[in-house]
Parts: sequence; structure tokens; C-alpha cells
Amino acid sequence: MKHQRSMSTHLAVMFAIVTATASAAVGGLLYLKESTGLSHHAREVLEARFVIVERLIRFNEGGQEWVYFRQKLAEFTPTDGSLRFIIESEDPRFRVNEHFSTRLNSKGPQIGFGAAELDGTRFLTKASRVAKYGDRPEVRLIIVADQTPQERARRFIAAGILALSLFTIAVVTSLGWWIARRGMRTVDRLSEHARHLGGDDLARRLPTGELPIELSGLVLALNAALDRLQKSHQQLSDFNADVAHELRTPLTNMIGETEVALSRRRNEQDLCDTLQSNLEELERLRGMVNDMLLMARADAGEAGSFTRVSLAAECRRAVDFMEILFDEVGTTAVIRGDGKADVERALFGRALTNLLDNALRHGEPGGQVVVQIDAEDDAAAVTVINPGPAIPLDHLPKIFDRFFCGDPARASNGHSHGLGLAIVAAVARIHGGDVHAENGDGVVKVKMTVRIREQVQERVDASVFPPHALS
Amino acid sequence: MTVKVLIVEDERKTSSYLCRGLSEQGWVTYSANTGSEGLYQAQTGVFDAIVLDVMLPGLDGFEVLRQLRRTHNTPVIMLTARDQVDDRLRGLRGGADDYLVKPFSFLELVARLEIILRRGRAQSPTEIRIGDLHIDLSGRRVTRRRRRLTLTAKEFALLEVLARRPSQIVSKTAIAEIVWDINFETNTNVVEVAIRRLRAKLELVGEDKLIHTVRGMGYMLEHRSDPDA
Repeated sequence: MKHQRSMSTHLAVMFAIVTATASAAVGGLLYLKESTGLSHHAREVLEARFVIVERLIRFNEGGQEWVYFRQKLAEFTPTDGSLRFIIESEDPRFRVNEHFSTRLNSKGPQIGFGAAELDGTRFLTKASRVAKYGDRPEVRLIIVADQTPQERARRFIAAGILALSLFTIAVVTSLGWWIARRGMRTVDRLSEHARHLGGDDLARRLPTGELPIELSGLVLALNAALDRLQKSHQQLSDFNADVAHELRTPLTNMIGETEVALSRRRNEQDLCDTLQSNLEELERLRGMVNDMLLMARADAGEAGSFTRVSLAAECRRAVDFMEILFDEVGTTAVIRGDGKADVERALFGRALTNLLDNALRHGEPGGQVVVQIDAEDDAAAVTVINPGPAIPLDHLPKIFDRFFCGDPARASNGHSHGLGLAIVAAVARIHGGDVHAENGDGVVKVKMTVRIREQVQERVDASVFPPHALS
Repeated sequence: MTVKVLIVEDERKTSSYLCRGLSEQGWVTYSANTGSEGLYQAQTGVFDAIVLDVMLPGLDGFEVLRQLRRTHNTPVIMLTARDQVDDRLRGLRGGADDYLVKPFSFLELVARLEIILRRGRAQSPTEIRIGDLHIDLSGRRVTRRRRRLTLTAKEFALLEVLARRPSQIVSKTAIAEIVWDINFETNTNVVEVAIRRLRAKLELVGEDKLIHTVRGMGYMLEHRSDPDA
């Protein structure tokens, strides 16, 4: 199973990282400050002692005075060994704590503050020369303070800071996770609602009330998508019902005629008639199946193989084809304007003939049908304008619907099965365009737009496909 | 010269009527029911054309074509049930010469096969005679007995289509395609009206019928001695 990332956990981890970074910085600085303070304090203490002892030595002339001094120094030295005084001298009589001095592994300078170590214990040292006075030779005074308490204090501070940081991280992380979970609860709730979508009730939508701004846009968009889906689902089921209905007639004819033909002994001509009649019905069925496939293509949003063409040339081809029918009723057709667009020629031609057929069917005989081509930057429109009675307003939006028939008397006349303009609409959609119908001044305008693609896709169809010239 | 056509199709009913129909065109037909059998026959036999279904058990049509094209360039017409650009491209890129989308009309298949078979030996006649009808193709003159017919360009083209295939049924789809360059289905009766107009000029009262309607299929130009037929 694929590992799925939890947004709450992700957020919590991010919180943890941020807190850890901040704690580390703050804790580090705090420790540095405390540590410096401790060192400073230790030096001050050491300095104070040093000054006293140094003063005692400075005017000490040696002899009996040195003996007194030693006693005083002994009193002055704490018994716990936290502070020791070392006096070094050329003259062994003036040496103090010599034993300790030789063992001390001093890293300090000859004069001033330094550090030393002995048996794992760290010491702070201060050394100074005290000039010769009377009988006393020059001595070097070294004061050595055990730093164990400071070390302990440092460790304590470090541990404290670390514990506090860890605690903070833990608290912030869990709070972060909790907050994230809380934030996500709306999403959970939406998921719960979404789980019930698409069941029996297609009208069900996601709740939009009390949503944070970040989510309301998404939910509105999803609901809009659901609206569209419901509409197309509705159209589809209507269409299915219509198709089934339309299929019923040719099927009934074929079954009936075949049964009648087979129920008696027939001569060859009768059987031929039956077969021919069946073939006509089958052609009707084939036409419908192909039209349905075309609609399905449009519904699936499947793009075709487009070639850039002159729209006027395409219209000319369609008009030339239909000319004979126009001629029959004394109607003429003119093409105005031109433009380039990327179309799937067969589909586009189909749409054009359907538009012209529609104009012919519903226009007044003897008039002039105008095919107007308008090309803009990103879209081209072909409008077929025919003089004729206005389309009733309540029919206008429906004329592109599948199987819509404004006049039931015209419902089936052999050539059309109510898909003419629906196919135009489907073709327009395949070309990224749309259809529109309106009544003009004594004319009816039916418009189909196609989107002009930026790049022409050079498809192999055009070159590999064999030319269809049969002659 | 006998024309040999291999039909690779697993649906027996389809295969059977294709064999029968094409045999009646005067062609010799062979059939294969699976992809591998079809491939074997196509590789070992000599055929003028192959009708290849896309949906086959085992090796599908695309695969058969791909393997066949390594060694043979026998013309192939693919039959596809799916009306998808994708399939068409796959078929044509794979080396198919043409394709037909099911449901297709038998006449359409015959027409496509004829194009493929005629390729490379395009010798068209300059004049055609059917009964007392004389068509001068290069001079674009049509006479019936001594009567000169005045035809429009489209009418001439329509007559030419039928005359080049005497005694053959020419479908309305084929007519629309050749005469008007309309290679898609239309729900119009343009071809019927055009034929009616041509007939009015071609067959005056008292003259023999030359253009015959084959109901549900198309038209045929033929001189029949029996006037009732």
C-alpha cells in the first residue's frame, strides 16, 4: 500500500522542527550567558582572595613574619580543598604547598588567570610575582580554586535548558498536531458528506455554511462540478431513453417485416423487397449509432485531429454539396467573410451541412441564406442566417438538445432523427467552441463557434491516410 | 488475373458474409479466425489485400500488422469497432493502408479494396460506352444515340462515377465522396435529388433506363435488355 502523508502529522513535525530550532538557539545563548556569568563570578572570588594574600606577602620581610604569614595562610585556606595557595620560590623556606604545585598540570601562564587540572578536577588559577622585600626573596603566588561547583552548576543549567526545550518541543508539537487536527476536522466533515454524494440523490451537495475561506472556494468549485455532472447525467439518461425510443421503430419494422416475409412462401422479389427495407432500417440504425458515438466523443471531451483550414473553403464545399437542394426550392446561398481555424474536417463539414439543412428546412423558400464567417483572435464563428419565421422564445435554448423537435409533425421524415443541431453542438464542443441561436429581423441566426488553437497539431492522418478519390 | 484477399476476422458471421460477398465480386477469398493463424497465412501465402479485424483473440490486429510489416508490404485494411482517433493512428502508423469503423457498409469495403488493388496500375479509359450512351471522358462530352446531353460539372462527375463502374452498385456515400468531396455521413437527400436530375436529362421518355436504383444500397449504371428489370 502506498504510504499516505497525513497533513496533521506533517504540520506537527514542522512545528516540532521550528520549535527545536528556536529552543536550540535560545537555549544555547542562555547557556553561554550563564556559563560566562559563572566564570566571571569565579574569577571575582578568586581575585578578592588573591588581592588579600598578595598584600600579606608584599610587605612581608621573611623570618618570623613569614612564619606568622604561613599560619594565617593555613587559617585562610578552606579545609575542603576548594581553594589552595601555592607559593613558589628559589628558596625552599618560602615554598608553600610545593607538593601540590608539582603535581598540578597547569596550562596557565606564568602570570594572570589560567586553568589547571589534577586527577580529573579542573581548577581556576591566578598567578603573580611578588617582588623581593627585606630578607624575603621574590616569590610567585598562585591561587588555585576548584571549579567543580561551577562545572556542576553548568551541567545543571545545561540539563535544565535541555529538559525545558524538550518539554517545549513536545508541548508545541502535540498542540500543533491538535490544532491541525482541529483544522482538518472541517475536511473530515466534508469527507463524510462527500461519502454520501453520488448515491440515489444526485441533487445532494457539500455543505457550504461556516467554512473557512481556504475551503469555501474548493467546496463551491466542487459543488459547481457536481451541478454540471448532475446536468449531464440527466441529459445522458434522457438521451438513453430517447435513443431506446428511436431504436424501437426501426427494430419493430425489421422484426415485423422479416416475420411476415418468413411466415409464407414468398417469391424472390418479395424477399428482396423485405431485405431492402431491412437494409434501409439498418442504415438508419447505423446512422444513429455513429451519431451517438460522435456525441459520446464530444461528451468525453475528446479532441480530434485538427488541420488548419480556410473556413470559407470548407463552407464552400458544404454549400456546393447542398446547392442542389437549395436550387430545388429556389433558395440561394452566399458565403461572406473568411478566417482560418483548426478543425477536424469531416466533423466540421458534417456540422456545416446540418446547419445548412436546418436553414433549408425551416427557412422560407426562395430566400437567400447567408453563411457569415467571423474570425477573431482565439475563436472563429460560422453563422447561418436564413429568412424565416422566428423560433418561439421558449424553444430557442432547446433547439440544440438531442431529439428536440419544435414541431412534432416534422418529427420523423426519414432523413433526420432530431439530432441535426445536437450534432452541430457536439462538433462545436469537440472544437472547443459553442453554439448559439437567435431571432433577427425576419431572420433566424444559428451560430457555431470553434476555438482557434495556438499550435496546429500536425497529425499523421493527413499525410498517411490514403486519399479518398475513388476515380 | 485473380485477386486474392485474406480475411482475418474472429466473428464467424462477419467472416462468412465477407467471404461470400467478396467471392461474388470475382475475388478469391481466404479466411483466418485468429490473429496467429492470420499472420501465418499472410506470411506464407501471396495476397493482393488483407482485411484485418483489430479485436482478435490472442494476437490482436495491431500486433499482427506489426509483425507482418517486418517482412511483407501486402496492402491491409483494418476493421475497428472503436471509433477512436487513437486506434486510427495506431493502425496507420503500424502500416495499415486504410481502416473502416464498424458498423461499415459492405459496399464501402469493396470500394476501399478496389482503391488499394488498383493502386499502381491507374489506367483510366478515355471513353466509355454503355448501351447507346457514349461518354467522352477527355472531351467531357456525353451523347445518347445522336442526342448531345448538356450536363453541369457535377452531373458529369456523377455520371462518370457510375460509368467507371458499370453494372456495379455504387453507394451514396461513395458518390458524395467522389463528386462533392464529402467524406462524412450527411442526413440529406442530395444524392437522390442529383440522380433524379441526371435521370431527367439522361433518360427521356421512350429511352431505356440506364440508372438503376438498388434500394438501400445505391445506384448502378447498366444497360438492361429486359426493360422491366
